[in-house]
Amino acid sequence: MSSGNAILAEGLLKDYVTYIRKGFLRKRKRIIHALRGVSFRVRWSEVFGLLGPNGAGKTTTVKIITTLLLPDGGRALVNGFDVVKNPIKVRESIGVVLNVERGFFWKLTGRENLKYFGMLRGLKGKDLEEAIDRVVKLVGLDELRSIDKLYEEYSLGMKARLALARALLHDPPILILDEPTLGLDPPAARGIRELLVRLAKREGKAVMITTHNMFEAEIICDYVAIISSGKISAQGTVHELKRLVADKIPVSIKFSGKIASDLNAVSKLLFESTLSPHIRIKEVRDGFEARILVDAGNEEKAIASSINALVSKGFNVRRAEVVEPSLEDVFIAVTKGDGENAVIND
Amino acid sequence: MPSSMIDVFRAQLHSSIYWYKNNKWMFFSMFLWPYLLVGVMLGLGALVGNVSLFSKRVGVVDPAFYLLSASAVAMSSVGIVDAVAGFALYNRWLGTLNYIFLTPIREAKLMIAAGIPDSIITPLISVVAVAPAAFYFESIVGGLKLVIILLIMYMGMIPLVGLSVLAATALLFVREESNIISSITPFILLLSGVFYPVSVLPRALQVLSAYVPSKYVVDAAKLAAKYTSMPWGWVVLTLGILAGLGAIYNGVASYVVTKAEVAVKRKGVE
Repeated sequence: MSSGNAILAEGLLKDYVTYIRKGFLRKRKRIIHALRGVSFRVRWSEVFGLLGPNGAGKTTTVKIITTLLLPDGGRALVNGFDVVKNPIKVRESIGVVLNVERGFFWKLTGRENLKYFGMLRGLKGKDLEEAIDRVVKLVGLDELRSIDKLYEEYSLGMKARLALARALLHDPPILILDEPTLGLDPPAARGIRELLVRLAKREGKAVMITTHNMFEAEIICDYVAIISSGKISAQGTVHELKRLVADKIPVSIKFSGKIASDLNAVSKLLFESTLSPHIRIKEVRDGFEARILVDAGNEEKAIASSINALVSKGFNVRRAEVVEPSLEDVFIAVTKGDGENAVIND
Repeated sequence: MPSSMIDVFRAQLHSSIYWYKNNKWMFFSMFLWPYLLVGVMLGLGALVGNVSLFSKRVGVVDPAFYLLSASAVAMSSVGIVDAVAGFALYNRWLGTLNYIFLTPIREAKLMIAAGIPDSIITPLISVVAVAPAAFYFESIVGGLKLVIILLIMYMGMIPLVGLSVLAATALLFVREESNIISSITPFILLLSGVFYPVSVLPRALQVLSAYVPSKYVVDAAKLAAKYTSMPWGWVVLTLGILAGLGAIYNGVASYVVTKAEVAVKRKGVE
């Protein structure tokens, strides 16, 4: 394990050249700028999430980091090894899941598939058997008693577990997973998420995932980078990212009884009660709940003063809580709601 | 620790064994295939042509034994080209190619080592399949001839692996989903003179056939069917030619693959 960052990407560039047919013989060259200077770092014992819409450059980034694709510019170090100059050392350091739906031999059992990929990595004999038993247990395939079934009989959840088992077979210090829970049912997805967090926190592995699933990123990622149009648009902890879009923090205040039936009257009442420059009334819901916006940075003081003001005016405040913007709000704000967003030059 | 070519060979050998174990009917059909092929050819030949005229033109004593040996050679040649050149295509279809290329070994070494187990297994199966016929027609001499043919097939395999690696590299570039190999193999069989003598081909194809390794293996099969004792001088010459072709094709293949490695990775492995 290198002492620095587990993964370091600096200014990664990648263009794809494609051709559009303009007749039987004529075709026009088209350059797709898949990556336009992508930089990020993944630390040890951290779950890092790379989020982005389709075509943003997530898979291209993963392919470069895993040595399956050469960058046109920039550099990437994995476990301290350069992906271009020392790909063999990089491959020794990583366990990879690229697509949970395929990537195994259909006519071989789960165990035979793991044996094949283990042997490719130089594992043999007792070491190989022990490694298979260890990972099968770790991903929970032993509970399902499915490891000796043909892969073609596997459900999607079992396939995902087997893919993760293969990635862990040689006990790599770094895991790189492209959409590891895509299409899984909630219990299976939860199982995978819990395992990834456990591997990072208990075993000190660095885990990098790409995902569309904001909920997933929010609950398991220590650090998130949002990639859009081949560039990192924002990165930080989930909390830091949320602050990017919220200079005003929404706070929900719930009352024991209906405060008024006329919403305008309630707004006026609340405004007069909480005469603070840091507070703005956002909305009043069904007469029992009011949402106020407080300035970020002063939220604790502002919330306390508004509650005090409301209580002193005779309102029965039952509960007050900060309603954080979701990571999805951040994602949409940062990517501006783009869908397919690769940059194309004809 | 980086993986070695032996690790790749061992993994691929095991996966082939597992595959045959889990596909028993497919495995047994490989033993029946030469007999079915020869049965159809001789049956059709007898119906619409003349078997003795065929024997005279091709220059064999026993057409059934010759056709069986030729079928074994054809099956082996197709098997070798499929094993090596089809490796990238087959694994791309399955989605396993990326994971195989994540093995800590140079891609060129990986592609060569991965094709060898099936290149050994397929000729062995085809020879074992026709062994009962060889013993039936010529008893122990027939068996010995098969061993000679197998050895020549293995020698023929070496340059064929080189040719197939070149085809595999082309497939990584082309990224066609259609099976280009299925267009290559009939051409190789035609130039090898497996079922028709090379002498009936146009002059240009006859010249080209001298560079096709399986042509020499087919010639060996013909001789085995023709003579009661092997012409050893010819056998040594054939082995020499195959060794020469092997050195040239594999030399060119390893140079091309090493150069292509960077270009393929620039485009991306899929």
